[in-house]
Amino acid sequence: MKRFATVLAAAGLVLAAQCLAPVRAHADTLADVKARGTLKCGVNQGLAGFSAPDDKGQWSGFDVDLCKAVAAAIFDDASKVTYVPLSAEARFPALAKGDVDLLSRNSTWTLQREAELKLLFPAVSYFDGQGFMVPAARNLTSALELTGSKVCTQAGTTSAANARDYFAQNNMTLELIELPGVDELVKAYGDGTCGVLTTDVSQLYALRLKLANPADHIVLPDVISKEPLGPVVRQGDDAWFNVVKWSLFALVNAEELGISTETLEQAKASQKPAVKRFVGTDGHFGTQLGLTDDWAVRIVKAVGNYGEVFERNVGSGSKLAIPRGVNQIWSAGGILYAPPIR
Amino acid sequence: MRTSLLSRAGGGALAVAVLALTGALLSSAGAQTRPPADLRNTVMQIDEKPGYVPSDGESQLDPAFRKQPVYFRTTEPPGTIIIHTDERFLYLVQGDNRAIRYGIGVGRDGFQWSGLEHVTRKAEWPDWTPPPEMIARQPYLPRFMAGGPGNPMGSAALYLGKTVYRIHGTNMPDTIGLAVSSGCFRLVNADVTDLYNRVPVGTKVIIRQAPTL
Repeated sequence: MKRFATVLAAAGLVLAAQCLAPVRAHADTLADVKARGTLKCGVNQGLAGFSAPDDKGQWSGFDVDLCKAVAAAIFDDASKVTYVPLSAEARFPALAKGDVDLLSRNSTWTLQREAELKLLFPAVSYFDGQGFMVPAARNLTSALELTGSKVCTQAGTTSAANARDYFAQNNMTLELIELPGVDELVKAYGDGTCGVLTTDVSQLYALRLKLANPADHIVLPDVISKEPLGPVVRQGDDAWFNVVKWSLFALVNAEELGISTETLEQAKASQKPAVKRFVGTDGHFGTQLGLTDDWAVRIVKAVGNYGEVFERNVGSGSKLAIPRGVNQIWSAGGILYAPPIR
Repeated sequence: MRTSLLSRAGGGALAVAVLALTGALLSSAGAQTRPPADLRNTVMQIDEKPGYVPSDGESQLDPAFRKQPVYFRTTEPPGTIIIHTDERFLYLVQGDNRAIRYGIGVGRDGFQWSGLEHVTRKAEWPDWTPPPEMIARQPYLPRFMAGGPGNPMGSAALYLGKTVYRIHGTNMPDTIGLAVSSGCFRLVNADVTDLYNRVPVGTKVIIRQAPTL
């Protein structure tokens, strides 16, 4: 009986889930966006460097620029974005319900989010991962030199477990100090209670800004966990998936080809085959995506190439000053690799 | 031979055109972590200042250009030097996907070639003998200057192959991160000494340029 009830309950849940799912006669997000005249982009409510509104309500940041890039590809106007600030809990339901066309909100690409939540990550926009911050004066070059250190981390996160694993695997001794919040972390590291701070690299750079003298601290190049961040779309609309994916690839390809806001005019007149395909003077690649053939030019004109987006928002042009690290083109020491436009 | 690279300053017209700007550009560059792109791509005529000894404060680079370990994935073996001229960085490959990164100043000459060289000679506190063309342009320059803190060659030099190119120090630390019209790849003295102590003669040096359109 109990089992039967469970089955019934499960069937009810499935029905409920189906009822909750949006009734979409067609899944043509690109057509919807064009008809509406604006892209609805889900973003973080406020995360330095990635997504934040200024006092006039203008949004900027790394994730915001991806919204702008997609809008530019469609409308040739990066301002045609309606930003929908979403909490961590609200973000995936909002996308699933169709409240936004695209989620660009520092979300980690995981199996569960694709298989269970029925979403898709078109590509990785930012490779984050757990790292270590130490005083520069210690002259360390590798996390492998951290044996015996007092390491501070935030309690209740995966960071503590990752640090334990990493130290154990490398035969290093660890004294882990778990603290409840970010402010306690900064305080403990700042007053020397712990000699090392560990959390995701992007957050380490944000925390560094809160220290008395940020330049006296470095983030070691070692990354011990995978946190690939990227945009997210609903399943069932391959054409839209492609538009978002190739908008991101266009940013990366632009940098690899040497196309930037500065060199864009020069690129339009280029005779190099790969550049001609990119700017649309050869082939009809934009048309194939349901866009115009100058789609990639529009993107670069609006936000620049990947390197420009990175440096302006989180890199050397920002307070965060995060080095490119893995988020560098594959041919220049990083792992960013965009398939070719051809 | 030893100093001929410094003679490549050339471009008198350019010198006149940009000299007026130089002061303003330099002072603003000092306050930034990295020069803006338009400035980075501008080749500036900055005259050498022989005898000028920089203060410790001046030699303290902006954080982005300070020597630091970074992630760097490459198929080149540890010990290789890779110079990315457009980034204004010199990487010393360490293996295990990392490198030590140094901030550099790049000469206009540095933009004219890319490829492979080897360190053929090393010298500490090299002497400086400005070549005739440089003397003609800047008659106040000394005919010979013994190595030392005021020497534009700085605390060490690594000579690249049979070329006139080299990696050297500087007595003008505020030119790190810029493209200046004379000199090749310059580091602050602390950094070039550090590099000097890490690499032997025979070290492979790869110079990379930004892609052309």
